[in-house]
Amino acid sequence: MSKIMTVDILSSIKGAQPSEAVNKLFDVIKNAQATNNNSFNDNRNNCVSLDDLREDEVIESSSVEKQIIIENFPKEKKGYLVVSKIIEE
Amino acid sequence: MESQIHKIHQQLANKEMSCVALVTEKLNALKANTHNTVNSTLDDLALDLATKVDAKIANGESIGLLEGIPFGIKDVYMLQGTTTTASSDLLKNYKSAYTATAIQKLLDAGAIPVVKENCDSFGHGSSSENTIFGSVKNAINPNLVGGGSSGGSAVNVAKDYTVFSIGGDTGGSVRQPAGYNHVYGLKPTYGRISRYGLMAYASSTDCVGPIAKSVEDIRIVLNVMSGKDIKDQTSYASAEINAENIKDTSEIKSVGYFKNFIDSDAIDPKIKSDFLSTIEKIKVKGIEVKELDFFQSDILVSTYYTLAMAETASNLSRLDGSNYGNRIEDKNLKESYAITRSENFSEETKRRIVGGNQVLSQGFSDEIYLKSLALRDAISENFEDDFKDVDIILSPVTPSTPPEIGNSLKDPHAMYLSDAYTVGFSLGQLPTLTVPQGTETGLQITAAKTNDELVLKFANFLKDTI
Repeated sequence: MSKIMTVDILSSIKGAQPSEAVNKLFDVIKNAQATNNNSFNDNRNNCVSLDDLREDEVIESSSVEKQIIIENFPKEKKGYLVVSKIIEE
Repeated sequence: MESQIHKIHQQLANKEMSCVALVTEKLNALKANTHNTVNSTLDDLALDLATKVDAKIANGESIGLLEGIPFGIKDVYMLQGTTTTASSDLLKNYKSAYTATAIQKLLDAGAIPVVKENCDSFGHGSSSENTIFGSVKNAINPNLVGGGSSGGSAVNVAKDYTVFSIGGDTGGSVRQPAGYNHVYGLKPTYGRISRYGLMAYASSTDCVGPIAKSVEDIRIVLNVMSGKDIKDQTSYASAEINAENIKDTSEIKSVGYFKNFIDSDAIDPKIKSDFLSTIEKIKVKGIEVKELDFFQSDILVSTYYTLAMAETASNLSRLDGSNYGNRIEDKNLKESYAITRSENFSEETKRRIVGGNQVLSQGFSDEIYLKSLALRDAISENFEDDFKDVDIILSPVTPSTPPEIGNSLKDPHAMYLSDAYTVGFSLGQLPTLTVPQGTETGLQITAAKTNDELVLKFANFLKDTI
């Protein structure tokens, strides 16, 4: 099933519309001549070598960090983050 | 100008002034200033650190070069326990839970953060008018913009409210305000300084960048912040840049400039003539100067903004008011997200998020987004070829002088085009320094990737040449 999603839905911004100022930029790209259409065939990407990955381990946050994260909760109850009920559509 | 860091270090070490007096003076100047550079001052933290520096000096202990030096932080960097707003309504009460790597390295070296600085919200702007804290006013003429997005940082340095400041440069956000306020501003090679703890705008070009009043101060701060960081896997290890090395400018044999930048109809005639007269002075010193071909400005600007908007749409999707931020409740979770984002993001931020989602959508991504990636590769290839021919590329920082406050917001497309000379070097991930010389808004010095040292060398050469 395909469903067309408009930019206001994609952006989670009510009433959002594409802007003329930005569309002018995109028109330049549409009309540009790119000599290379495969952007993944060279060494200019910032890929990390497999030999250079960090350890896959859990690092415990400090108690100060945890406390600030809780302070930043928009709505809190007994130390838990309160969110709206998620409604399936 | 001489190094402010060395000068203040000597004054502190010689007990000509106390660190508490120095920090108090900076805090007072920041609070009294009318340029709208301040989002918050860090009084308690700064004075506590200053007291410790004074105690150390009183005990006869030696202090490090950066110990006790007051600095500013663009309000997009995490500093544990301080408010980090990104100059936005959404995060106006957000408190950093941790500290950015670059800032932690400065703290470890003993530098004292005194202020979180005004900027365009989430880095979205070229004038520091897109902010909830009031438009930043230019240090030289307060009727003009301070530049952006790191406008507060550049003005603070220019007005001596901070000794140096840490801005962020995605498409010119350190270099352009540095040029507008006649100070030095460096965008290092992408990855030289860890981005961990810098709020992400466009991750593939975001760079941490120092702003200061001398090449030497840029060098000192750059050395401290550089290095590989496991928390940012695009960061890389780099050698320290030695003060003596950058005084020897004999290895610079050739300089290039982009002919189409200078021949453009959009360039201010005075900036053009000043730039060309600088080129003549360089030739007189026996350096070969070559005209180079480059992409048209509209292609550079459009490629940059397409990719930056796509990346910011993705990066800012996390800001929905669930875990932090100024949540606005509505009838269900999706509606809460939408109203929170609609009410709390500025018009410019919304414009960029919407543009990003447009180009990432099915049916548009091949024609615009993927093509922009291909153009970016072609731009990088162009740079690689250029640096086989020349050691340095020199350019103006901006086509025009700073606009009056209020004008940029009226015409976003014109604002995007004003970034014409800075965005190409961001796409190329190249080290580029603004120096406050040569034209009304300065000059940009660019070298090949990872050759930040050569950029500083050429800045020293220009200091003595023009």
